[in-house]
Amino acid sequence: MQLSDRITGLFLAGLGLAAAWGGSRLPAVPGQDVGPAAFPMLIGGGLILCGVMIAFGIGHSFEVPEEAEDERHSSAYGLRALLPPGLLLFYALAVDHLGFMLTAAFIVASAALALGAKPKLAVPLAIGAPIFVHAVFAKLLRVPLADGILPAFW
Amino acid sequence: MNDMIEAVRLVLAWDVLIAIMASAVYGLVVGSLPGLSATMATALLVPVTFYLSPIAAIATIITASAMAIFSGDIPGCLLRIPGTPASAAYTDEAYAMTRKGQAELALGAGLWFSAIGGIVGTISLVVMAPMLAEMALSFSTYEYFWLAFLGLMCATLVARSSPIKAIASMLLGLLFACIGMENPAGTPRFVFGVTNLLGGIEPIPALVGVFAVSEVMRAMVTAAPPKLPDRKFGSILKGQWGLTKKYQWQMWRGNIVGIIIGVLPGAGADMAAWVSYAMSKKWSKEPEKFGTGHVEGLVEAGASNNASLASGWVPALLFGIPGDTITAIAIGVLYMKGLNPGPTLFTERASSMYALYIIFVLANIIMIPLGIAMIRLASRILRAPRSSVMPVIILLCAVGAFATGANLFSVFLVGVFGCVGYVMERNGYPVAALVLGIVMGSMVEQNFITSLIKSDGNPLPFIERPVSAVLASLTLGALLWPAGVWVFNRMQRRRAAA
Repeated sequence: MQLSDRITGLFLAGLGLAAAWGGSRLPAVPGQDVGPAAFPMLIGGGLILCGVMIAFGIGHSFEVPEEAEDERHSSAYGLRALLPPGLLLFYALAVDHLGFMLTAAFIVASAALALGAKPKLAVPLAIGAPIFVHAVFAKLLRVPLADGILPAFW
Repeated sequence: MNDMIEAVRLVLAWDVLIAIMASAVYGLVVGSLPGLSATMATALLVPVTFYLSPIAAIATIITASAMAIFSGDIPGCLLRIPGTPASAAYTDEAYAMTRKGQAELALGAGLWFSAIGGIVGTISLVVMAPMLAEMALSFSTYEYFWLAFLGLMCATLVARSSPIKAIASMLLGLLFACIGMENPAGTPRFVFGVTNLLGGIEPIPALVGVFAVSEVMRAMVTAAPPKLPDRKFGSILKGQWGLTKKYQWQMWRGNIVGIIIGVLPGAGADMAAWVSYAMSKKWSKEPEKFGTGHVEGLVEAGASNNASLASGWVPALLFGIPGDTITAIAIGVLYMKGLNPGPTLFTERASSMYALYIIFVLANIIMIPLGIAMIRLASRILRAPRSSVMPVIILLCAVGAFATGANLFSVFLVGVFGCVGYVMERNGYPVAALVLGIVMGSMVEQNFITSLIKSDGNPLPFIERPVSAVLASLTLGALLWPAGVWVFNRMQRRRAAA
């Protein structure tokens, strides 16, 4: 997801403005000149300055060109990058209801298939990886992974 | 002496030895897989360290990072794809050697000189840290503020990107660090009514997100690396002693440059390798051979990147300022395990410090046999399809983030930081500077506000003490350096045009 420097610079300047404004509204500490507002306001000011400079292309000559995305595909292909954070969101929302085993199996299978794995690789991976991760984290390290509708067999 | 005996006893505990062996194998495997960096390997280990004893936890971080930096050389040499950014500097050279039929020599040089570099770096840590610790005992909040600020500025200076973008990344990290109640007044800041944000942004979900999730996101939209041809290797260490004698000067220069770059806050193994490779080429008697499969640059840069790893722990242990992204993670683990960084660590917890030194030496010694085994197994491990590795990593990111506080909000944060890291990298914003900002944010703010309160709002005491004056001028120099370079380049271009 490549954006122009103008867009990212203006976004940062806007963020800096919001941080400085938000910081300025924080309550002061009674009897002290400096409080919780000082640092966010300073950072906000810095971000505004940097954002404006980036938007004007200052410092661009120092940059190393980025590796291009796979250009054989359409621009919608780039949306595939959103799958991993989407799967993490799914994990956070579903694991308490479905349980670790089913949620993990779904995540592994989806990611493997999206990366071009054939079902003969994706299915054993979706069965084996959750069992292995559960054994390490829940059994050995005592992390409380949710049982849900399919508890681990040990 | 008693501290030393106690340190040996701590390291020889069975849980520490198992942790060293397991993290060594883990580091070697992860480092050898293209696209999975040493930082990512270390970040994914952090949730596991929660459940280990303090020394075992630190041992896993030290061993896994040292092994991963070395094994990053393997795919670089065989496939021309650096396993870690620290190997990128000399990947073309190593691959050219493979094409000439000298893969064993290139891989052996990577292994041998990495181990030497690691041991020399450890010696520098042993010598330098206690000396600096005595000096640091007289530091006040002014010096700590400037040190932390200098660390952040160095991170922006060494980034291979626009310095303005690097500073913006660092400021963004500091802004993330403002979230929560950890501020001078204990006021909720930027929490937007979300209870989970009251405790602030933990560095671990941020690290796992920007280093691991963003890598999986990138794998989703880039072509898979080529398959490794099947081949058998001859003797790996054959000829290395000869190279050590022939390129003795280059090896020592690499070690020293690595140590200096490692000590510099914010600059890590990748920068050490780039600088050393460039120096090797510049001062070589045979510069024309560089790029055609010449081992000289590998000797110097291989020694340099591992030397920087150990010396990077100097600012981390003394001031809590990360030498690089790996020590940024290590600082989190140190705090978690009650080994709070600071000069008193060397006086009050001397046995733990000695144990840390022993682990460094041990990790670099076992690197040689395990590294040889890894090189021999490389053709099998490197054949693991990306579609089988990345799904397991995404699962580990979710479970690892959850394990840090048994809170599903951390998993959500990992996803958010994955997106932030991915977008930033695609647009030339260095994520290492963001991470350093997050890790060091509360320290910078605490020292800044305390200093301002002490001085009653007067900025003069910030530069009155001799050490703080030196640190302030170095920081301002680092801040103004890119502007100077930019103006100079512009003037030169104008002169050339006229």
